[in-house]
Amino acid sequence: MRAYIVASRRESSIMLEIRNLHATVDGREILNGIDLIVRPGEVHAIMGPNGSGKSTLANVIAGREGYLVTEGAIHFDGKNLLDMAPETRACEGLFLAFQYPVEIPGVANLYFLKAAVNAVRKYRGEPPVDAMDFWDLVHERMELVKMDESMLKRSVNEGFSGGEKKRNEVFQMAVLQPRFAVLDETDSGLDIDALKVVADGVNALRSPERGFLVITHYQRLLDYIVPDHVHVLFNGRIVRSGGKELALELEEQGYALYNEEPGRARRAAA
Amino acid sequence: MTAAAPVFQDSSRPAFIEFAADRREPDAIARLRRAAFDRFETLGLPTRQQEAWRLTDLSALKAMTFQRPADALIDAGALPTLGLPAHRLAFVNGRFAPGLSHLREMPDRALIASLDQALLAYPQWIEPYLDRLPGLAQHPFTALNTAFWEDGAFVHLSRGTVVETPIHLIFHAAGGDSTVYPRLLLVLDEGAQATVVVEYQGTGRYLNAPVTEARLGDGAALHYHQIQQESPQAFHLGGIRLQQGRNSEANLHLLSVGGQLARTDLEALLDGEGASCTLNGLTLARDQQFSDVHVRVDHAQPHGSSQQRFKSVLDGKARTVFDGMIHVRPHAQKTDARQVSRNLLLSRQAQAHSNPRLEILADDVKCGHGSTTGFLDPDAEFYLRARGIPAAQARAILVHAFANDSLNSIRLTPLRERLARLLAADLALDIMEGE
Repeated sequence: MRAYIVASRRESSIMLEIRNLHATVDGREILNGIDLIVRPGEVHAIMGPNGSGKSTLANVIAGREGYLVTEGAIHFDGKNLLDMAPETRACEGLFLAFQYPVEIPGVANLYFLKAAVNAVRKYRGEPPVDAMDFWDLVHERMELVKMDESMLKRSVNEGFSGGEKKRNEVFQMAVLQPRFAVLDETDSGLDIDALKVVADGVNALRSPERGFLVITHYQRLLDYIVPDHVHVLFNGRIVRSGGKELALELEEQGYALYNEEPGRARRAAA
Repeated sequence: MTAAAPVFQDSSRPAFIEFAADRREPDAIARLRRAAFDRFETLGLPTRQQEAWRLTDLSALKAMTFQRPADALIDAGALPTLGLPAHRLAFVNGRFAPGLSHLREMPDRALIASLDQALLAYPQWIEPYLDRLPGLAQHPFTALNTAFWEDGAFVHLSRGTVVETPIHLIFHAAGGDSTVYPRLLLVLDEGAQATVVVEYQGTGRYLNAPVTEARLGDGAALHYHQIQQESPQAFHLGGIRLQQGRNSEANLHLLSVGGQLARTDLEALLDGEGASCTLNGLTLARDQQFSDVHVRVDHAQPHGSSQQRFKSVLDGKARTVFDGMIHVRPHAQKTDARQVSRNLLLSRQAQAHSNPRLEILADDVKCGHGSTTGFLDPDAEFYLRARGIPAAQARAILVHAFANDSLNSIRLTPLRERLARLLAADLALDIMEGE
């Protein structure tokens, strides 16, 4: 009885649970049995070389079409995430910062954000956001990522520089205030100043209730967003997990070590 | 003369003779009608063997038995308002409705009136202009209109006259398998400026075959908006002729939403050096609708510029056609002519035809055209959904963004907003929220 209570308390503190996740893209197996548990307040980093399945993992979590889960499960707050449409996942508190944010001509950034905020509120049974409250929130969050007000009126990501697009992702996250965020190579294409701005934005959102999965190729980002756990993804599996020092080790040794692994490399080449 | 095979009952020669006998008007106009009717008889109704009508299936129209329209009374509430002070002329079943019209104070050198009334009072102002513009010579519905028009609008602005107040022309057809032939004659002398909004609407089943003729003198500027919101059973077969003098400017917005079959043929002749012409078209078609735009921009003089931007959004089994010709005559050097046609398909069964055509006979010109047809961008849809926006709303937002772009250059704010709402209603989307 006692053991049961302990177990259930531990269960309840799990935010994201990925069990034995296998996924294919165009019939090709990309994820090969991933196990991962994230608790509230934790920042997990997933590192790995190109083609290891990092972005596939992000897209499977967000529910993008074209990614077929063939085995395993993902639970978010104990609910089966894989049964939910992408918008339902977002309304449940999940957020994906895109590696390649999409340009949407003709849809103003501010309008888009308000539509998103209100969609989430509607899902929760709340009335649409008060215009003044929304404006205040937007302004406060804009400062967080040092975004210029003119970006609100521009079409979503249209003509934005690489840095502006990534800042816009973090800005959206700051406005939507998800409980769990996946950052898919948010550092790619950023110079060091832009990287700091993005990292500051993410750090400001860290809280005991919020979990993060930071996906990156390079250790550099993790100097600024210091993770609690680091996992190495290789050929669609987590091959090593450790603390933040693991990232430094990878920085020194690179991924060569994993490329040498017999069997896997052959499979990757196939 | 070979009489054309199928002709509507109300457009037969006996019907024309009877119609013409009732008109009391100057000989010059009567001669125009007779010549036009002869031309119509020669042309006949178009068949799909004719290249220009290859994609336009008129069989449903040809199966109709139309009659001359009866007089009808309609409620003022059934007519749109501009939301701005406007010179307003309303026509019901092709006939002027003074009770629904309202003319404001206007400059001395401007005449805005019913064409029929203006013809009685000032025939000398109309005869030199009516049916004088080139273009649409082979268009049988323009010939029918010239033969059978009963009324329409006449706008004549003398040299340098600027009418700031928009001119709102509303044509309502009351159905009953009738034919209406509205005629619009817009004459802007040198340096004159006008803003015109034409609305076609109706109830029930009818054929509306309007013709607009616009002649812009040197340096004149015309902002012309045509909103085609015919009833779902209606046939709309319209013609627009435009002739532009030196450094004149024409901005046309053509919105096409209604009708089971709608087609507009537009011919613009840039007949003065440095004339510029912008054509903005937006077509929404759904269910079994067919909507067609045929455009010919003829650059006859140097340094002219033209921009054609035509978009369509198709759902259900709708079909649209855009046929756009840029013709640059040998003398028209330094012409800058652009054409873009973009089609958005919301259904796998919808079909959009784009037929851009260039005939460039001068060697020092900039001409370009582009055409795209595609479905909604799945990446954009996913992006919106990943932020919590439901799939249907995400698609509506994207369609609206595609279409609304065509409305952004409309300067009359209340009109632009009304059309944006119309789009939104069409997409079942609350777009005003958040803007």
